[in-house]
Amino acid sequence: MKKVEAIIQTSKLNPVKEALQEIGVDGMTISEVRGHGRQKGHTEVYRGNEYTVDFLPKIKIEIILPDERVDHTVEAILKAAKTGKIGDGKIFIYPIAEAIRIRNEERGDSAL
Amino acid sequence: MPDRGSAPFTSLSPFADLYATESSAIKTSFEETGDGLACLRSRTELVDKLTAQLYSSLLSSDLKGPPNFCLAAAGGYGRRELFPCSDIDLLFLARDPQGLKLHRESIAAITRSLWDLRMRVGHSARTLADCGRLHPDNLEFNISLLDARYLAGDEQLFEKLRSQIIPHLVRRDQQDLIRNLIDLSQQRHAKHGKTIFHLEPNVKEAPGGLRDFQVARWLSVIHEMAERGDWTAPESLWTGELQRAVQSSVRFLSAVRCLLHFSHGRDDNQLTYELQEEAAARSLGVDYGNPMDAAEWMRQYYRHVRSIYRLVNGQIEETTPSRSSLYKVFQDWRSRLSNADFSVIRGKIFPRSPAPSKLATVLNLFEMIARHSLELSREAERWVEETSRALQLEGYDPAEIWPAFHRILGLPHAASALRQMHRLGFLTVLFPEFRAIDALVIRDFFHRYTVDEHSFTAVQNVWQLRAAPSSVADSSPETPDPWKEKFAELFREIERPDLLCFALLLHDVGKGMDVAKHIEGSLQAAQAVCGRLNLTPEESGMVLFLIASHLEMSSTMTRRDIFDPDVVRAFVEKVGTPERLKMLCLFTYADITAVNPEALTPWKAEMLWQLYAMASNALAHSVDQDRLEISGPLTFQADRIIPFVEPEASASELESFLNGFPKRYLAAYAPEEIARHFQWARQLSQMPVQVRISRKGHSSELVVLTRDRPFLFASITGTLAGWGMNILKAEAFANRSGVVVDIFRFHDLFRTLELNPSEAARLESDLAAVLAGKVSVSTLMARRKSSPELLQGKIKTATRIDFDDASSSRCSLMEIIAQDRPGLLYQISSALAELGCNIEVALIDTEAQKAIDVFYLTSQGLKLSPQQQEVLRSALLERLTGF
Repeated sequence: MKKVEAIIQTSKLNPVKEALQEIGVDGMTISEVRGHGRQKGHTEVYRGNEYTVDFLPKIKIEIILPDERVDHTVEAILKAAKTGKIGDGKIFIYPIAEAIRIRNEERGDSAL
Repeated sequence: MPDRGSAPFTSLSPFADLYATESSAIKTSFEETGDGLACLRSRTELVDKLTAQLYSSLLSSDLKGPPNFCLAAAGGYGRRELFPCSDIDLLFLARDPQGLKLHRESIAAITRSLWDLRMRVGHSARTLADCGRLHPDNLEFNISLLDARYLAGDEQLFEKLRSQIIPHLVRRDQQDLIRNLIDLSQQRHAKHGKTIFHLEPNVKEAPGGLRDFQVARWLSVIHEMAERGDWTAPESLWTGELQRAVQSSVRFLSAVRCLLHFSHGRDDNQLTYELQEEAAARSLGVDYGNPMDAAEWMRQYYRHVRSIYRLVNGQIEETTPSRSSLYKVFQDWRSRLSNADFSVIRGKIFPRSPAPSKLATVLNLFEMIARHSLELSREAERWVEETSRALQLEGYDPAEIWPAFHRILGLPHAASALRQMHRLGFLTVLFPEFRAIDALVIRDFFHRYTVDEHSFTAVQNVWQLRAAPSSVADSSPETPDPWKEKFAELFREIERPDLLCFALLLHDVGKGMDVAKHIEGSLQAAQAVCGRLNLTPEESGMVLFLIASHLEMSSTMTRRDIFDPDVVRAFVEKVGTPERLKMLCLFTYADITAVNPEALTPWKAEMLWQLYAMASNALAHSVDQDRLEISGPLTFQADRIIPFVEPEASASELESFLNGFPKRYLAAYAPEEIARHFQWARQLSQMPVQVRISRKGHSSELVVLTRDRPFLFASITGTLAGWGMNILKAEAFANRSGVVVDIFRFHDLFRTLELNPSEAARLESDLAAVLAGKVSVSTLMARRKSSPELLQGKIKTATRIDFDDASSSRCSLMEIIAQDRPGLLYQISSALAELGCNIEVALIDTEAQKAIDVFYLTSQGLKLSPQQQEVLRSALLERLTGF
């Protein structure tokens, strides 16, 4: 079992969500986050005041999957979120020890 | 009498069987009839039966004994209103502590048995003295005694509680009891956003729910008991109409709550979408058994809770204990707001005449509410309802609405006025289109309120920005909501908050119409309303633009990469002008925050502000690149102007006038206005300088049309400064053939034009003389010495000058931020002219006491060289900072 965590452009949420639904990934957690990698921030001047945007708005998607579905899922995210420019984001994959469904205490892949 | 509770064992199985069988029968009966009140009565009787049997088995075989001890029902159980999964509140009452001690085991055995029967029991064991004492930490206990009902034991003891102890407590502590009850109710209302219009409401706790009905009863009982010392039934004090409405509402809500308890299997009072469907499928509380549409059933729900909310608010107002003397002084001061039609007494409005009145008088009433946040008295509510009915029957002139209605929308408590108008049916008399979204539920995961309430909340949220701290006055880095502060600054800059609120009021009307996309329906409705109310083309243009584009900004920020310049450019193209951009940004802010209080996360607020700031910069920096090129048939924009052009003017003349103007000129001004400019341009051959001054709201507008020439802009700004006028905004545009349209918005600091109407003509003639070279600006400037107070701003702004050579292919852009003061623009423009700079476009704006000016400059037809820019910067800095 793995957790796929993808940090993507805000504008790519819908395309990624649709791509994941197409391959049967329905469950996901979405967060509004801020951050930067090499893209860094930038400075905007509005009416003589400088606004430094250190951290750019991004969307974080978290999905927990059985091992065999990870590659396919990562591929779908890559395809939908890629523009080829700096700031497209990153994907991280973590091992998961256990999943438990609170309602009926099911465990393992069946709890996903 | 021995304590039978110490008996080792009492079999519960007969009780359990009785409870299970009768509970099942009650449920079946409810499913067959949908009668909630009957269900409550039956369940109360069942529990009465069980408690009596347990009492006789475990405490005293004689139900009238033992002496000096009794069992009473409290709370909802005491009222005989026991819902299927509600708690069963019991009061074990003894004359003294020994009585409680003596029966402790029996009390425990009875409550334990009820728990074992799976009933949720809440019990308290008290002495008479306990019941006669105020419990500041547990006032709920004191209140629950108001519903106490005898079940078993010493009847005389219970009678003493009811006829002596409780009345004595209430008379002594009524102020504390009432204040606490009101505070708790108001906190509960605040928790639910002070609105009845929740999409999935809690039928007990939400405003207008069953708890409010009880609060109204308790307040009434306490008040009457304190005044008369008896147990007057509150219902007998309510007027016939109110009593009928409330009874019907309680019957409806009781049925709904029974359904919720049976469906959830627990005391969960949230009316979810699923259960709305189920209730509507049975037409619960309406016409049981005949299915109806869920949205229509929910409208019935809101109608009922509205009656109860009205009842409890009326009761709260009538019984609110007097507050601090300062508050009284404030209320007395507000009574000075009385006028010929209305009296204001203790913050409430009363009509002076009970007879239905004219439309204008009702609108005046709501203007008082919007201005002073006053409440309507019951008499005023009846008067509005009767006048609304009369207006509907007799008709009225819709053109009368807008002059007063736009004032209402432009006042801080506009949302309160709109809500009250809607509640009393007056809003739909004015705008029948609004009926489409009356209490309309649109199922959506994020929306918390009905569509009408969402619109009122949006108006409220935009006006709440007025109360947000100003970063100009308080630039503390630790302000609680920096984003709100930024939107508040924008709100202070817009000229027509009334138009913004009008668009917010109508933007979702299409959701209740039979159309493919709600925006189309809303536009259709808004067009009809704007036409009927006779809005000017500029006004209706702004309202329709906001409605048509109301999702544009939120969809751009969430579905596009706002850091991509092409995305910003495309967005700016759709918006057109800075005023529209500000209005759309504020509209988006209000619309999102009205979805639910948490909808505009700091993350989204930052995105919205980013998009606004980038679009604003792009608008100021792209004027020159985006010019009107007419070759061939007239463009769409030009086509709109033709109907307003005098018949003798030809289309080709209009084309040649428009050719080369920045598109912003066409977007910022209404077709009628541009047609007027064109008309004046045609007169340039007879009179080479055309000057017009007119009043626009709180400021004046000057339009100058002439051929471009050196020192033109400086001459105009100098003349205005010589007359003591403070320029707030200005835009200067030139077309391909060198005709210049300069438009200035200025503040008449000394009210010269207002107090002396003939002075406008003299100012026009001074301008014409200066531009014709007959009078020098310095002569005019010498006439006026600015007073030092006017030159001293309250807030200091450092001068900043930036050049941008990238945004325009043929001009250098110069942006100046400086402390605003009279004559500033003349200083800048004369320096530019002296250094040989030609102003191709000027965009002048003022924010508080900060001047924000953008000039598109050329020198001999070319961009300014870096050396020229440096010379210009030094010259300007010297003039502006040496000032």
